[in-house]
Amino acid sequence: MSRPLLILAATVLLLAGLLPIGVMLVRLGQDPSALGSVTSSRTMDLLGRTFLLGGSVAAIAMLVGAPFGFLVARTDMPGARLLRPLGFLPLLMPPLVTAMTWTVLVDLRGAPMTIALLSLSTFPIVALFASRAAERIDGRTEEAALLAGGLRAAVRAAIPQVLPAAACGACLAFVFAVNDWGVPDYVSSVGPKFNVYADEVFATWQIDEQDAQAVATALPLVLLTLLALIPALILRRRGALAAGIGSGFVKPAPLALGPWRWPALLFCLTLLALGAGVPIGRLIYEAGAGAPGGQNPSGQVPIPVEGFDTQWTFDRMRAAFARALELCRDELTASTLYSAAGATIAAAVGLVLGHAAARAKRGGLLLAVSVLPIAVPAILLGIGFIVVWNRSWTADFYSGPGLVVLLLLGRYLAFPILVLSGAAASLDPQLEESAQLAGASPTRRLFGVVAPPLVPSIFGAWTLFFVLAMREMDAAVLVPAANRTVMFRLFNAIHFGRDDFVAALALLTLFVIILPGLLWTCFAKRRMEVLP
Amino acid sequence: MRAGKTPLLGPITLEIPAGSHTLIVGRSGCGKTTLLRALAGFGGVCAGRIELNGVLVQDGSKSLALPHERGVGLLFQGGALWPHMSVAQTLRFVLKSGGVPRGEHASRIARLLELVELTGYEKRQVPTLSGGEAQRIGLARALALQPQILALDEPLGPLDAELRRGLLERLDGLQSELGLTLLHVTHDPDEAASFAQRRIRLADGKITADEILG
Repeated sequence: MSRPLLILAATVLLLAGLLPIGVMLVRLGQDPSALGSVTSSRTMDLLGRTFLLGGSVAAIAMLVGAPFGFLVARTDMPGARLLRPLGFLPLLMPPLVTAMTWTVLVDLRGAPMTIALLSLSTFPIVALFASRAAERIDGRTEEAALLAGGLRAAVRAAIPQVLPAAACGACLAFVFAVNDWGVPDYVSSVGPKFNVYADEVFATWQIDEQDAQAVATALPLVLLTLLALIPALILRRRGALAAGIGSGFVKPAPLALGPWRWPALLFCLTLLALGAGVPIGRLIYEAGAGAPGGQNPSGQVPIPVEGFDTQWTFDRMRAAFARALELCRDELTASTLYSAAGATIAAAVGLVLGHAAARAKRGGLLLAVSVLPIAVPAILLGIGFIVVWNRSWTADFYSGPGLVVLLLLGRYLAFPILVLSGAAASLDPQLEESAQLAGASPTRRLFGVVAPPLVPSIFGAWTLFFVLAMREMDAAVLVPAANRTVMFRLFNAIHFGRDDFVAALALLTLFVIILPGLLWTCFAKRRMEVLP
Repeated sequence: MRAGKTPLLGPITLEIPAGSHTLIVGRSGCGKTTLLRALAGFGGVCAGRIELNGVLVQDGSKSLALPHERGVGLLFQGGALWPHMSVAQTLRFVLKSGGVPRGEHASRIARLLELVELTGYEKRQVPTLSGGEAQRIGLARALALQPQILALDEPLGPLDAELRRGLLERLDGLQSELGLTLLHVTHDPDEAASFAQRRIRLADGKITADEILG
């Protein structure tokens, strides 16, 4: 490992993720009385509600995501090859956009709606893990099961091999759900209040800007997140996912579903329709069906369902897109640039730290430290950034784009590190040893021998970061410089008057989010790897 | 070298004469590959001394020479060729890393391919090579920086009988031509016995037999 590169990468991780957390812990240490609120009945009530949210989302995501992943990856279901990449779509949709469409279409509010929306957004994570594990099952073991008892036996033999990977995905779905602030906040704004923990941390800090109080309030959520994150890290190398595809590996053939082919297709199409088809369809309708516009009289409940003209026209939609582009070009450009810059830095840092985590003696420790920022609620990370950087001598940086990129790195750098450590671990160490024997420097080995076979993972890490960064709102909402992003504009727009412009802007944002992955899928010869 | 608290190799004392061909045999897991890796500078030796050509390269757990400074070429089990490169790129990567002037690359690559009888393979991509071809390109890579010691880790593993014979003859020819010291690890005690001068048997990391071959 190249020491200068390692130091540079570790510095980025330190500045972006660990410093804000460390500073917040120091603040808590200076005011230990803040810890008194941790055991209050209100905290316990919120914790219970957040656990219910996370647990329900993880369970539903597991229940529907695991079969979806298995069906699209390993069976002869009609259209499986097409449905597999399409299965990503609900994950690419910003949850807030999914929320703003479904709250219009269905009269469901509070906890059930929040759980349903976050389940729709996160089931592809489970599906992704399940698909990868399912295709790593050695064909010979499956043939042995088929010989023993047909499809039923093959599925029974496959389940224990797929389950650990799917459970890993469910743990990550839990982490995403309990840390989401935007969806519970939005659902609460259009119906009865369903406040969850992330909401509370935000509210606590907004009221009197007591840093220590915010940290104390957040501590139980950190523990809750770690409760899911640690099993996720352990499970990601279990079952079929752990099996390397060596020279003896036999690719499994698609399992014949027989009469179950069409019900399976119906199940997958329904899920896709709920997660992406209906929301996108609704947005297209809203963009082309005119608009009431303006602020809702109450200033709070922006559901102008009846206000839309039922006559959809292409001209109206074109006008809505033109208006969205005219009004939000700057925000769209800023979001794209911030996310692309962050993703590029994250992919480079992820390669260096991920490789070190896979190869170094204390790699596990490095990985554990790297994922710490995921365990911290986004809101708390945002507060940490304010505490660290909102100073007179850093005023220019604080209000500039550099801080936004750093904030995005703090939020999501752990994912590229996880993806690339997994990829580096699967690479035969002898490839590097033979280069070392030839005298290649650590940097040359990293970029000449390690990086080229990992290009699909490097681009996967880049894309994953880009998608998450484009969707980011939970930490960015606090930092003024990050308020000039398209998600923030969308957030404001749907709260203060919903019209065709909002729908067009949501579709434009979705298009930008999808674009890199779409280009890779269409033109690259190898499949993108996004699994940690 | 240890796995947890269990020693993987040793204690052993072994002296290999320069220019000889020595077979190291034993069952899977007996420490053959570990021995080669220790000589090449990999795998974290925790005790003992290693001298190569009279130079101390390992003293206890302290490595005194980096792998590329030891003059050891290693033909890895399975080849371990870089899958994203062509044959020429593979050899050029090694030559460039070893500080060979760029102007000499083409002639050195041609010579290496001639040595392993794969002239004209420069543009072939590694994944398109057959098992035997991949082993010979692995051999060319190991020879690229003109090592004094060539360590072979189960070099004949994936090959059929005809290819095995061919590669053994090639190795024998190369040893005489280049004056190499060959350390040949195999699980088959009879493999290459007609070409080697000495056979060392390992079991549980220790030498159980040391025979001079006819």
